Amino acid sequence: MSGDGDSRIITVMITLEFHDPSGAIEVTQRFAPRITTLQGKRVGFVSNDQWQAFRMLPLLKKLFEADFPGIEVLPIDAFPQGNAVIGSEETAAQVKQSGVDAVIIGNAA
Amino acid sequence: MTNAVAGLGLAPDAAMVTFPIEMFLPGSDISPVEARKREFYDGLTQWRSAFAGDGGAQSPMITVQGASIEDAFSRANNLMLANRWGDGLPLWPPTRERVDWILRGATQPRGRRIGIFPPRGGVTTVETCAIALAMAGGRPEYLPVLVAAVDAFLDPESGSAQLQAASGSAFPVVIVNGPIGAQIRLNSGFGCLGPDPQRPAGASIGRALRLLQQNVGGALPGIGTMANYGGVRYTNVVFAEDEANLPRGWATHAAERHAYAPGQNSISLAFANGATNIRRRGAKKETPEEDALQGMYRMADFMRVPNMPGLSGYEHGTPGILMIPGVVANTMAGLGWTKASIREFLWEQSRIPTEHLRRAGCPAWIEIDSSKVVRESIALDPWPITASPDNFIVVVAGGGHPTNSYWLQGYSPGVVGRTVDVPASFEGLLVEAERDLGPTATA
Repeated sequence: MSGDGDSRIITVMITLEFHDPSGAIEVTQRFAPRITTLQGKRVGFVSNDQWQAFRMLPLLKKLFEADFPGIEVLPIDAFPQGNAVIGSEETAAQVKQSGVDAVIIGNAA
Repeated sequence: MTNAVAGLGLAPDAAMVTFPIEMFLPGSDISPVEARKREFYDGLTQWRSAFAGDGGAQSPMITVQGASIEDAFSRANNLMLANRWGDGLPLWPPTRERVDWILRGATQPRGRRIGIFPPRGGVTTVETCAIALAMAGGRPEYLPVLVAAVDAFLDPESGSAQLQAASGSAFPVVIVNGPIGAQIRLNSGFGCLGPDPQRPAGASIGRALRLLQQNVGGALPGIGTMANYGGVRYTNVVFAEDEANLPRGWATHAAERHAYAPGQNSISLAFANGATNIRRRGAKKETPEEDALQGMYRMADFMRVPNMPGLSGYEHGTPGILMIPGVVANTMAGLGWTKASIREFLWEQSRIPTEHLRRAGCPAWIEIDSSKVVRESIALDPWPITASPDNFIVVVAGGGHPTNSYWLQGYSPGVVGRTVDVPASFEGLLVEAERDLGPTATA
């Protein structure tokens, strides 16, 4: 050091700029609007018949019926069941034609 | 599940009630359903999506700073891991310069949309592929094979939409035919499924595909993919058929499966979820005929297991990919074997007695399958592991040594082919590769 009071240490920072690799997400359709109340409504299940759905969905049906007077919860077999069919346009059409106000889909694991 | 709904074009935060996996097992305690019933009620009445953006814009650039090159590189790698974009091995930060360099291998504009990557639905472009290839340590001349593989992967026929998220640990297998294999240093011989500094292309291309599966497709372990084990996923499987040692009269895989002309650069993509070595050579004084036949029985016996991944490709896909070294293929060809006769033998000899299916609980899986062909196959005894001998894939590849063959157990609804286009500057890229990496290996 020279001792003249001008001995500053200069640090040069290395900058790396790179692309976010995750790709963009496009939202092309919106979720169905929620219903304001469950009382007096018609609710259906679309089941893949896997992962204990045969036990859990009937339990849910009982809970809904106990907690919401006037609700109609369709049986779990009201619509086609199984992974092979629940994603089909035919199943979707059946659900729409049934006039349900809301649908619960299960189970996934 | 959030990935799955995003892949359908919905916001990636669907109304869901989630529980630990134990509740979904036979005999489980399902009382938590009642304890959390309010979440079901609210999901139908109160829930609102919190996803605000439409995400259609270009991917942003990210900046890190360090006190040295080493420090900046380290910070970039740490950031990529923290953002769940890495695989635990060092990544090359996809800087603008490096991605532009990789894009010299493109035949289409960088913004050309290839598709959306399931299940998350990330928009995938030529540039997205170049970014992944840069991260994976790739080079421009690899890009044509990667883009073709991604295009095949995103074809609904491949089954990737399901397999990306499924528990069965599927990994893509990319078989390359045509001169591009040797030109870009893809391995087709010794150690062709493993690391090779003389032929590094397969590792980079396969790793880039995996990074796309994870970063763009959302297949993050335990979150976006429920794969129990996830084997072979660091680099997937990318290799070239050993066309130089293909016996006279034997067609390439590309010609047999996809009707591509000899000399056409192409890829073929299937999924597998198992990989094993099969010792096929005899040990004593077998005649050539005995040696070949015993080896064939050993391979067929290995395939004759009541393990259900083959169901997904029973009708149109593949039960697996059998790799035979060129030296074995030529010996067998001399004895009259062809790829077709090998497939016929395997199909007949890998049939499973119905009793073995029944004791293993397999009929239930067969009965619930979406394919009528699969469901009706239950009447066959012994039960063929695939609908047709043609579904077996037989590829000549592997080191020039007669002892082993290799079986990649299929889990593949389809086998998708694509031709590979190269840019006009491709020869120049190969010259640069030779300058950078040295001469191509001859052994």
